[in-house]
Amino acid sequence: MSLLLRTHYRLAYDSIHQNRTRSFLTCLGIAIGVAAIVLILSLTGSIQKIISYQVTNTGSDLIVIRPSSEKDTTENILETLTSSNQYLKSNLSLEDITTISKIADVKSVSEIAKSELTVSADRIDDNGKAYTSTINSASVIATNPAFIDIQKLTLSSGTFLTNKNQPNTAVVGHDLSLRLFGTTEPVGKTLTLLGQKFIVIGILAEADDQLNFMNINFNNSIFVKADYLSTLENNLQIQQINVLANSKNDLSKLSTEISEKLRETKNDDTNFSIAYGDQISHPASGMLMIVSGMLTLVASISLIVGGIGVMNIMLVSVAERTHEIGIRKAVGATSGNILLQFLFEALILSSLGGLGGLVLGYILAFLLSVVTSFAPYIDINIIGITLTTSVTVGLIFGIYPALKAARKNPIDSLRYSR
Amino acid sequence: MAKNSVIINLKKITKRYGYGDAESYALKNFDLKVKQGEFIMIMGPSGCGKTTLLNIIGLLDQATEGTYLLNGESVEKISHHKKARLRSKKIGMIFQDFNLIPTLNILDNVTLPLVYAGKTKLTREKRADEILDRFHLQPKEYYMPDQLSGGQKQRIAIARSLIAEPEIILADEPTGNLDSRSAHIVMEELKSIHSEGNTIIMVTHNPSLTTYATRVINMLDGGIDTDIKTVADKDLPEPVKIHFNKKGKK
Repeated sequence: MSLLLRTHYRLAYDSIHQNRTRSFLTCLGIAIGVAAIVLILSLTGSIQKIISYQVTNTGSDLIVIRPSSEKDTTENILETLTSSNQYLKSNLSLEDITTISKIADVKSVSEIAKSELTVSADRIDDNGKAYTSTINSASVIATNPAFIDIQKLTLSSGTFLTNKNQPNTAVVGHDLSLRLFGTTEPVGKTLTLLGQKFIVIGILAEADDQLNFMNINFNNSIFVKADYLSTLENNLQIQQINVLANSKNDLSKLSTEISEKLRETKNDDTNFSIAYGDQISHPASGMLMIVSGMLTLVASISLIVGGIGVMNIMLVSVAERTHEIGIRKAVGATSGNILLQFLFEALILSSLGGLGGLVLGYILAFLLSVVTSFAPYIDINIIGITLTTSVTVGLIFGIYPALKAARKNPIDSLRYSR
Repeated sequence: MAKNSVIINLKKITKRYGYGDAESYALKNFDLKVKQGEFIMIMGPSGCGKTTLLNIIGLLDQATEGTYLLNGESVEKISHHKKARLRSKKIGMIFQDFNLIPTLNILDNVTLPLVYAGKTKLTREKRADEILDRFHLQPKEYYMPDQLSGGQKQRIAIARSLIAEPEIILADEPTGNLDSRSAHIVMEELKSIHSEGNTIIMVTHNPSLTTYATRVINMLDGGIDTDIKTVADKDLPEPVKIHFNKKGKK
């Protein structure tokens, strides 16, 4: 049997070798489909790795409170995705911060209220002429001084928000500072938010990770005090409360305690969720899974097209080699031999396409990593999925032409004019 | 196989095509016994059923009615798989248009029956060497079929039909596409194969070739018109397969 398999492999290889251009184009069809899947899986893996790294990096002693019941179900994730006013229904308030901070095991608490606001600053151009630099929708993060410790951010200059200095102070992210002031050293300059002047007291060091579980790009944000901003904007919505525990142990006990305290103060309003450890990244990861699943589905359409290409070329091959099939049957080939011969050819085509797609996908992922922060993510699972998929495509789309070849009548095949 | 034993026994073989008004018979109640060592030449006008008969004997086609005993065993009800196995081991076929696979070299073409008989590459190549040597074609084993003359191609086809040491060799107008000189060489080869005890059934249109045969059957309208034995059964060659004994390897 193994001898025959080897022979079939050789016959298939010879056939592919004899029709190099045709075989290459067929493989390319499969390769493009596989490359698309590899690229998506690699990107998803890379993003997931970044998120889980940040959760670990931010601390295993972190508890996160979010508005509404964010259970890790597809419906909830989809609801979050499709809801346009997800920030407007937050039931977390600044009072909750006070409530939580009074709990014994809590080391520090900080709120995150993100809003998109217009920010402007006075600048002087190259000719010495004064003008106002404006950014229409800058990401403004209202928080408190504890945020920098909880988030483990570093400053390139100045200080973070403190309780000692004036309320109208701001800390600016690296990229936003460049866009607004044209420099990364704007400490002491002022910016205008909601008609109020804010003094820039610090600049964040440039952060590599543009993605995180809070969906905040630190490089492009302005940090101001939440208690002050709430006086300027009535409808300030807190999207997240980060709690740093005194100890890594008993996070579950502490989260239960926080939950109970919040219920007490909020009159049994339970529209919030508390997460710690791996659960923190679940909404982001879940969303990612849905998006990547959908993208993979779309990419698999191209794989099906590639598979149809394999079937097409195999049908052509069977038609072209009808006479050969007749000869082979006349000298003793069984229908099974002929079936295997053509199936092997389809499998080799699709496997070569799969391997090519794997390489192509990683080349694309690598090229993408040059312009983005997503490092190519290579995983045995991705390689396994890719190769299994391409072999399956070969089997599915190769079986019909192979059966057609195997069922050919030897006499009719021998009569078939070349 | 004992001398003079019946290896092919056809009893009332009928091959019918079409139904109703379009019904036609390629063979009708055809009886034939072929003994080991016979060289049968089948002649007759076009459409008399010669090729159909050869295809049925070669297990490429199935009779509509009748019984076909190959070495005493009925082959009507056996599976396609088993028929293919019998074709690879017991029957060697030679065709008018050679039927070599153009994409395979001579060595691969000749060893094709052994591939399906499950022989190892070493065995296949050893046998191919021996048999190509016999036909003086060993230097051309890596040639492609289109690099050979018609006569050489047919000798390759004969070599292929012999390589699996079959009990019967079926030749369908093997000289039909050859010039007289090549035809003569091919017939001499077949004569030599027959003298080694092989059973050959050959279809031809050329009456001059009947001198090579031990039995000449003339067919007409799907039946036997005349059946003449030119050699007595007792004088048929002994069943020895010399072609692999040349170098004392078997």
